[in-house]
Amino acid sequence: MTYRHETSGGQRSGQLRDGGLRVVTRRQITARVVVVGLISAFAAGSIVAQAPAPFTMPVPPAAHLVAITNATILTVSHGTIPHGTIVIREGKIAAVGPDVAVPAGAQVIDAAGKYVMPGIIDEHSHSAAEAVNEITNSVTAEVRMTDVVKEDMPTIYWQLAGGVTTLNLLHGSANAIGGQNAVLKLRWGLPVDSLLFEGAPPGIKFALGENPKESNFQAFAGSRRYPQTRMGVEQVIREIFTRAVAYRTEWQQYEAARRALRRGQAEPIPPRRDLQLDALVEIMDGRRLVHSHCYRADEILMLLRVARDFGFRVASLEHVLEGYKVADEIAAAGTGASVFADFWGYKLEAYDAIPYNAALLTQRGVAVAINSDDDERARRLYQDAAKTMHFGGVSETDALKMITLNPARMLGIENRVGSIDVGKDADLAIFNGHPFAPASRVEMTLVDGRVFFDRNTAPTLENLMQQLQEQRQRRRPAATGRGDQ
Amino acid sequence: MKTLARRHGGTVARAILGAALIVVAAPAMLAAQSATGLAVTARGWAIRNVTIVPVTGPRIEHGTVVIRNGKIEAVGAAAAPQAGDSVLDGTGLFVYPGMIDAGTRLGLSEISSVPGGEDQQELGEFNPQDAALIAVNPHSEPIPVTRSNGVTTAITAPRGGLVSGQAALLDLLGWTPQEMAVRAPAAMVMTYPRTGGGGRFARRAQRSQGDQMNRQVLALKAFLGDAKAYADIKGRLAAGAAGSQKTSLGMDAMVPVMRGEEPVIFDVETAEQIRGVLTLADSFGLKVILRGAHEAWRLADTLAARHVPVIVGPTTQGVGPDEPYDEIYANPGVLAKAGVTVAFQTDDVHGSRDLPYNAALAEAYGLPADDALKAVTINPAQIFGVADRLGSIEPGKEATLIVTDGDPLDARYGPKYIFIRGELVPFNDRHTRLYEEFRVRPKP
Repeated sequence: MTYRHETSGGQRSGQLRDGGLRVVTRRQITARVVVVGLISAFAAGSIVAQAPAPFTMPVPPAAHLVAITNATILTVSHGTIPHGTIVIREGKIAAVGPDVAVPAGAQVIDAAGKYVMPGIIDEHSHSAAEAVNEITNSVTAEVRMTDVVKEDMPTIYWQLAGGVTTLNLLHGSANAIGGQNAVLKLRWGLPVDSLLFEGAPPGIKFALGENPKESNFQAFAGSRRYPQTRMGVEQVIREIFTRAVAYRTEWQQYEAARRALRRGQAEPIPPRRDLQLDALVEIMDGRRLVHSHCYRADEILMLLRVARDFGFRVASLEHVLEGYKVADEIAAAGTGASVFADFWGYKLEAYDAIPYNAALLTQRGVAVAINSDDDERARRLYQDAAKTMHFGGVSETDALKMITLNPARMLGIENRVGSIDVGKDADLAIFNGHPFAPASRVEMTLVDGRVFFDRNTAPTLENLMQQLQEQRQRRRPAATGRGDQ
Repeated sequence: MKTLARRHGGTVARAILGAALIVVAAPAMLAAQSATGLAVTARGWAIRNVTIVPVTGPRIEHGTVVIRNGKIEAVGAAAAPQAGDSVLDGTGLFVYPGMIDAGTRLGLSEISSVPGGEDQQELGEFNPQDAALIAVNPHSEPIPVTRSNGVTTAITAPRGGLVSGQAALLDLLGWTPQEMAVRAPAAMVMTYPRTGGGGRFARRAQRSQGDQMNRQVLALKAFLGDAKAYADIKGRLAAGAAGSQKTSLGMDAMVPVMRGEEPVIFDVETAEQIRGVLTLADSFGLKVILRGAHEAWRLADTLAARHVPVIVGPTTQGVGPDEPYDEIYANPGVLAKAGVTVAFQTDDVHGSRDLPYNAALAEAYGLPADDALKAVTINPAQIFGVADRLGSIEPGKEATLIVTDGDPLDARYGPKYIFIRGELVPFNDRHTRLYEEFRVRPKP
């Protein structure tokens, strides 16, 4: 699929983001095999056989008692502790501070000279999924990313290597109302259900602008589907919510009739269950968070109006590249903004994207997250956050919040993650220097106190070069000097 | 004045700048800006009390840089301005050479998804006659956006096919493409064929990919053979031999390449491709520059011994299924430590301002800080034969430099003043304009 406008580097990495399409996946093929029969089984089997061997790393043992000592701790919520200790019990932060004693029997991680920050939260991701876009309808509120989580994708490990511990796995942006999200903790190597962030409020993807109106692709080759304009996008959303209001009323009437049922009376007939409208009712009832892809100022205002009319709050505007033009309106709606640091110009609606967006939104009181929307960009979100200090003068703390506490709030998980506070999950990234400094890299990443990434045991280029060197020495013990590696 | 001050978000920076701007006592000169925002200046400049990072020599604290007639006139503690020079107080600031992006398509693309503004790629496999400079739009918005982040100079080049065309080295300032050109053509751009390129079904098609690669290698060799014959005949005719030659615009463009006067940038990724390029270089006497080359570490010593420079990057690429997770970041450090001349490219248009952050990712994974800085300044200048003009802060070089509030590779800091060929260039680009416009939007 030549639908690449959400990335430039991604054209080389061949990765997937909003609007990107995964045509057919290995597991989907396998599933079809069961239904369709032997001929397909042969074809599918041959494809599976030729797929590369899955990349795996040993699963870390559960951590009962851990202490990270001598660290510079960027708590995000209450400043920097220049020389402190974090104690972790059963995956939770039990103590943090400059004078915390290391409990007897604790597994000690000496972080002398290193910086610890909360695990990075990528508020907009399409990683670890077998499918991203159910593009066929303009409303696909019934489909669920939780059904397509792919727990063994190496990208999860590579993102851990960039300090990411939580991501918001979103449906694509081909439809005005897309599918339901899945919030994941990157417990790489554990069974698929273990990656779901337990207790995270459910959410859903909306999308406005060029993608839902098929400006740069066609859902059906040679034909078009409604909408084709921003007018149509608004009508699709308004229409389905209008139906959802009526649907909710039907159910309320049915429930009322049941409650009023007297003995001997006939049971009332329930309304027909509609999985799409169920999701929309949850939105209106405040039980499902809306994360809406958007670009232009006019369509941002449009969605905020529609949301107000139907009585719900938009949890986060995604990309929201022209958010700085209507920052006050976004702030007034209590809506968060989940943005790129400086990605722009990849399509017409990204022409007015500016790297000052995060700063201007912050100045006007909007909570801002810096997201990746891309497996590769996710590996360096800390560098993207640092850019906001240069472009618009965001403070260091506010910049750190953009990849920790702010996205946690947008996802409704701020009581669990996003800062280094007692009682929160021990999701932490340990850097060899300040996360924003140019020579800094992630040394270790913990989820629930378990070390899911450790550069000492990671498959690095240095390790590979050592292995190759040893192989050569075994083969040609007399050889001198270094040749081609 | 406002245009200068607009980039300073932090109060500290604002205070520093406030002081500096008082010393810059020539508001009339700053007002002498053209409609396009280009500053027009003829007088000299002195940047005083500034930390100078010359790149080719040790850092100088509390130094002065004097600029006159577009050139760096003097550098150091003893450098003194002349009467009438504008003085800029650089207290707390740093002078670095302007950064050079060794691979972009700047000027050839406006908005990637809008075909009308796309001039990056021609049809066909062999287009040596196509020159980037012909199609560079000097008023393309990404150019000043890139410049405002301290990338003052860039290679821009067409893409696609086996022989994409001619790259140009541009200063990111000028009224016409020709005024921007530092060197054009700067190199011929080619791609060495490969197998196993990305794509979900790549592996299934490996055999047919191999066949295709072999056909492409043969085609490339045949093309170079023709070019060599053409150049030879041209030389013999020029030396007085009897006979004639039909003119081919493509082959004419290849003559300096076949004579080893113009380098070839070879876009490659794998060690296999690099070995192929080295073989071609030997067979045809080509002066080659590798670009991309994320597996160049496998041949680091060979490349160093053969003095083959490598333009790495972008480091903002994903990881292949069988690669070390940090290969793309660590490769530049291995090369530099082996003695290879390394430069960085973004291979981008809108993202070219992120050049320094590409280098920073490599610094985090083993590229020494000094080498990282060289790789975005003096090294690309050397690779493209303009190290006598660009890439360091030395007397006699063009005054293409940036004054920053910190290490330009550190994403927290950036340029506060930018000079190109001695002109103070205002931060007047699409992004700063929109920032200024909406920063002061009244509350609705």
